[in-house]
Amino acid sequence: MFGLGDYAITAAIVLCIASAAVCVIYGAINWNSSDDSNGVDK
Amino acid sequence: MSFLPLATASSMHTPVLGTLIVFYILAIGFLGWKGWKKTTNQKDYLLAGRSVHPFVMAMSYGAAFISTSALVGFGGIAGQFGLGLLWLVFMNIAIGIFIAFVFFGYRTRRMGQMLNANTFPEFIGKRFRSNNLKILISIIIFTFIPLYSSVVLIGGARFLEEVMMIDYSWSLAIFATVVAIYVIFGGLKGVMYVDALMGSVMIGGMMLLLVMCFVKLGGVSSAFQELTNMAPLVKERLPEAYALGHRGWTVMPETNSVWWWTLVSSLMLGVGIGALAQPQLAVRFMTVKSSRELNRAVLVGGIFILFTVGSAYTVGALSNVFFYRTDLGIASGFRNLLAIEAAGGNPDKIIPMFIREALPPVVLYLFSLTMLSAAMSTMSSLFHVTGSSLGHDFFRTVTNTRKDSMLITRLGVIFGIMISLVVAIILPAGIVARGTAIFFGVCASAFLPAYCAALYWKKATLAGVWASIISGVAASLFGLIFLHRKEAAGLGICQAIFGKSELISAHPWPFVDPFIYALPISVIVLIAVSCFTEKLPQRHITRCFKKK
Repeated sequence: MFGLGDYAITAAIVLCIASAAVCVIYGAINWNSSDDSNGVDK
Repeated sequence: MSFLPLATASSMHTPVLGTLIVFYILAIGFLGWKGWKKTTNQKDYLLAGRSVHPFVMAMSYGAAFISTSALVGFGGIAGQFGLGLLWLVFMNIAIGIFIAFVFFGYRTRRMGQMLNANTFPEFIGKRFRSNNLKILISIIIFTFIPLYSSVVLIGGARFLEEVMMIDYSWSLAIFATVVAIYVIFGGLKGVMYVDALMGSVMIGGMMLLLVMCFVKLGGVSSAFQELTNMAPLVKERLPEAYALGHRGWTVMPETNSVWWWTLVSSLMLGVGIGALAQPQLAVRFMTVKSSRELNRAVLVGGIFILFTVGSAYTVGALSNVFFYRTDLGIASGFRNLLAIEAAGGNPDKIIPMFIREALPPVVLYLFSLTMLSAAMSTMSSLFHVTGSSLGHDFFRTVTNTRKDSMLITRLGVIFGIMISLVVAIILPAGIVARGTAIFFGVCASAFLPAYCAALYWKKATLAGVWASIISGVAASLFGLIFLHRKEAAGLGICQAIFGKSELISAHPWPFVDPFIYALPISVIVLIAVSCFTEKLPQRHITRCFKKK
């Protein structure tokens, strides 16, 4: 894929882009959320 | 770390670059002054008043995280060994940004506010109700941070020396002085404002570099295909690298080879996981007002890392295509060379040489500012955390001073800068990338289990945390002195005591990063000791983990 010689390198590129996308999606979804429910336990 | 040969400076239109740098320093001065004006008390100085804008927080976190070492040092390693380093980019985004913010950031901010902690040592110390623990952590920080801050300082000073043709000693002094002024006066507000500017320059510069590289090499697929086709040249032209496990720039190194262990244990795991327990990064979680700012910072941080280090490693590897092919407008002197050959065997020169030879001067100017930004932003954060550990956490606690610690912390910053300058003068050449990996590894082994336990494990005890930190540092030092070949041979202590350069010569032990065994030892010790020692009072635990 894309002229790369190893699936492990292709996987690294895909995971880099996917993890950055997860950060973008997470940030966008929670843009105005200030609820700390994923923070400290009761 | 040497970036550009002196001859390059003249071809770079030094007056243009000099003017740019002067304007840039004026902008830094203005932001440092703004930070100084807004710094009126200890909380402003140490935590930027806990009211930092999410963009400033994210860019500052990223700029402090990514240093010259990552862009030029590790970028050059990608030029030498290939795209396997992209796994480190994935670790940086997934662990250094997402897990750090979502699983560590929220709790650190909330608990830090609850405990009124201003620094990382104070946070752990208050969580486990021990001033002595705070002192121990501050001692570890100001013992090991000068190693990292001095290698970043060396990188920045070498860059000034070669680009501006200034004597190295003067470069060192100018570089340290500029950073010192805005750290000492501006506190964390000044540092974070300047970092945000620098982060913006870094992301712009690196994105432009990546796009220009693909344009120059005929597109994404074409560039990678060319690089893949060059794989047979490794065996033919780089027999030493081939013996280390290098099999091409678009394939992973041979499993269990020397290079594979270095890539996986030191770079991917050591640097990737080590980012979670960096005191200068962890303290940034406590600078924001609410979790909303952290959510927004995750978005900015992920993009920042992808385009800065992702670009550097990709460009580093692809520079081989440029230097080898002869129909790409290559400057005289480069023909049928691999990147490492063109750089005269010094991987630190690969990225600057590629930019100098392949791209228009405007990119070189922007890249020069990017490099200065990367070095200065990391250094300022390290100086600030050294000063706060020395002044606020250590000196103030030991002398039982109850006054506002701004002055003491400023003195600590000055002391920290002086130590870094001395270490930078003493350190041998070529230590930048290794110094970074050692610092990240020691931080992870010493602090990560204690930091996790502080945030997530209510049954962790003070004795368990003490034992974990000490065993983490001890195991790291033991590995560096007696097992890991590069440091053990360089230090010579193992040779002097046992008559051999490393205790275990059987493969792969001399190449396994000490972090690989030091971290599990630190975790096991924490759990084992916590199971058999006195728990913290329930009332304190309830307070620490209480929601607002």
